[in-house]
Amino acid sequence: MNTKAVKKRRPFNVWIKSRDGQKVLVMLSFMIIPLLLLFVFTYLPFGEMFGFSFYKMKYTGTRKFVGWDNYLKVFQRKDCFGALKLSLYYMLGSIIQLVLALYLATVLSFKVKCGKLFKGFMFFPYLINGIAIGFIFKFFYTRGFVFDTVLQWCGFKLDSLPYWLRDQRINNFSLVGTSIWRYFGQNMVLFIGAIMSVDSSLYESAMLDGANKFQQFIYIILPSIRTIVMLNVILSITGSLSAFEPPYVITSGANGTGTYFVVMHNIAHTQQKVGLASAMAIILLIIIIIATILQKLFFKYVFRDAEDDDPKAGIRRDKKLARLAKRSARAAEGR
Amino acid sequence: MKLKKLLALGLAATMVLSLPVAVSADEGGVPGYLDITLGEDYTDLTATIKFLHCRTDREEDGTIADLVAKFNETYPNISVETEGVTDYAEDSLLRLSTGDWGDIMLIPAIDTKELSTYFQPYGDLEALDAELNFMNAWSYDGVCYGVPMWGNAQGVVYNKAVFEQAGITELPKTPDEFIADLQLIKDNTDAIPLYTNYAAGWTMGAWDAYMGVVAEGDDTFMNQKFAHMANPFEDHGDGTGAYALYKILYDAVANGLIEDDYTTTDWEGCKGMINNGEIGCMVLGSWAFSQMVEAGDHGDDIGYMPFPITVDGTQYVVAGGDYNYGINVNASDENKTASMVFVKWLIEESGWNVSEGCYATSKNGENPSMYSAFDTCTMLSDQPALPGEEDLLGEMNAESELSFNAGGDAKVQRIVESAFTGSESFDDIMADWTTAWNDAQESLGVEVTE
Repeated sequence: MNTKAVKKRRPFNVWIKSRDGQKVLVMLSFMIIPLLLLFVFTYLPFGEMFGFSFYKMKYTGTRKFVGWDNYLKVFQRKDCFGALKLSLYYMLGSIIQLVLALYLATVLSFKVKCGKLFKGFMFFPYLINGIAIGFIFKFFYTRGFVFDTVLQWCGFKLDSLPYWLRDQRINNFSLVGTSIWRYFGQNMVLFIGAIMSVDSSLYESAMLDGANKFQQFIYIILPSIRTIVMLNVILSITGSLSAFEPPYVITSGANGTGTYFVVMHNIAHTQQKVGLASAMAIILLIIIIIATILQKLFFKYVFRDAEDDDPKAGIRRDKKLARLAKRSARAAEGR
Repeated sequence: MKLKKLLALGLAATMVLSLPVAVSADEGGVPGYLDITLGEDYTDLTATIKFLHCRTDREEDGTIADLVAKFNETYPNISVETEGVTDYAEDSLLRLSTGDWGDIMLIPAIDTKELSTYFQPYGDLEALDAELNFMNAWSYDGVCYGVPMWGNAQGVVYNKAVFEQAGITELPKTPDEFIADLQLIKDNTDAIPLYTNYAAGWTMGAWDAYMGVVAEGDDTFMNQKFAHMANPFEDHGDGTGAYALYKILYDAVANGLIEDDYTTTDWEGCKGMINNGEIGCMVLGSWAFSQMVEAGDHGDDIGYMPFPITVDGTQYVVAGGDYNYGINVNASDENKTASMVFVKWLIEESGWNVSEGCYATSKNGENPSMYSAFDTCTMLSDQPALPGEEDLLGEMNAESELSFNAGGDAKVQRIVESAFTGSESFDDIMADWTTAWNDAQESLGVEVTE
């Protein structure tokens, strides 16, 4: 802008009143608030935390610079990376969650009796506060309470049922279950939104071609909502790396359910090893970035023939559309 | 920031103002706590004093008004105004810094160095210690500036009816007796012998409270010796020490003497359960006693007993003072004298601690009946840390990540998990703690004694 001002040799006060100057002024004044908020509440604290990770420090008192010691400790401690293994449970859960959400979204995006009601019911858990969900499930899984009672109605004997939170072989699955219950509704609504945008004449013509519902799903729906599926997968995987609320509220991370975040929370707040916890946070960030890149590469590989990566895709798509249009016109004539 | 500045300003102002007054107080005739004989001295003193306190519940239900009325039977000319403050911990600090708060208050969290700026001395610590319990919380340089309202003791809440039904005639005094009694409860009743409250977390950390005085019979253990010990978790072999303390929990779990599913325990629910006789006992401080009594129709069944560890033939009980009464050093001599009389009367004659179910400050004072089992025990409170080592235990706690009496719930939960699944033996856990403790000592450069 300055060069412009110099080029036209306008004094600043004239330039600022001109259309260009006003444009810049408006742009800046609108941007400055969100940028300032972003900087103050995201980048500044992050920078501070990055700095903390090189110190041995508590919240109060003196700090001692220790270099990379904290990072080394994260790798040496059993509990930090051991906790990451628990993320596998949550990743498995997120896959189940996405498949379930995709299935229900596909069913519900066609005409279903009381479809809106079902949508509402399934989305509802997402609206409940995570802490409240924790308390709900604490009672849900208590011996002889809700879950056991329901299973007893189905003919199970109480003695043959496991202790959902005490048994260390299954308690992580129990916790993952709560997170599936909470989030699949939200995924489903996102999928439904994406599926709605698919041109419905495609289904019609596919039906005329003799494609069954499953083939329609594979060849029409899935490719059309690829972006949103990918987004959801990435969000779920990063979410499962940073799972926190279910183990924190339901079991307070005890009994072998302490995820990376819960361990980090304990180190930061109970033990007050702020430097170590900051280093853990930075390492988790790096892991998440790597996981996201890997997923991007994976999707690129799997959908290699997808249009974005194929320069001829545009032409092919035009041809395909023309063919479809011709076919549907013929079909209309035939009728 | 503004608040801090204000506080600092207020502080400076009161300090400047208090200088000449403090000097005159030393010359003037304000008696110390021990100089007053209740019922004889100062009965004709005329003064109006104001008492700032945190018990809004007792202000509302008239308990405090009744106390004052009783006080006025002996001291008709001292009129006492009282004010209950809801958010006491914070508001009292603000009021203190303004200087305009009255004559008696419950001392809030200030630095002990500042005590003489605000509060009138009661007398020498040594002399007062002989007469009163829990006196060392608010003293500086051997002078006491606060007298606790009453004390809270650490023991075990139990259901008398369950114990009776199980055939327990005498309360357990050692870990072995305790485990045997829990087994009796399991065999002879439907109650859960020991309810761990595992899921609540902090209720597990509550086990740490018994470490120094109760388990070792030593009031200098916790704040003075512990941080320097090379082997604080070793097995003494005689049912004492931290080893024996946590071994009780391990054994109880390993022998199935706790609730069926410890991961879903419910803190609110347990109060009603012990009241109804569904629970034998719980390891909790005396503050929990009245909650258990009020939680149902069988409040009379609830009892409180000393923790079952005996050191050299004596059962020790750890207790600490509650809020302390402090007297405004800047008040007039009459008001200070009247306040001193009122505080002494509250401690010695009012019997307030009995109605609150708390331990008497006065060594000769009457204790509520719930403490009857404590009569044969020796009551101690932890000595403060040695000068220069005030932060040492805190740093050791953080560095070792064991956090004794500081939210180290996870380490006690681990005992329950290991005992139940058999994944670790108790000695392994203790060895692990010792390693963590020694590593922390090394990294902090703490001097280690055997």
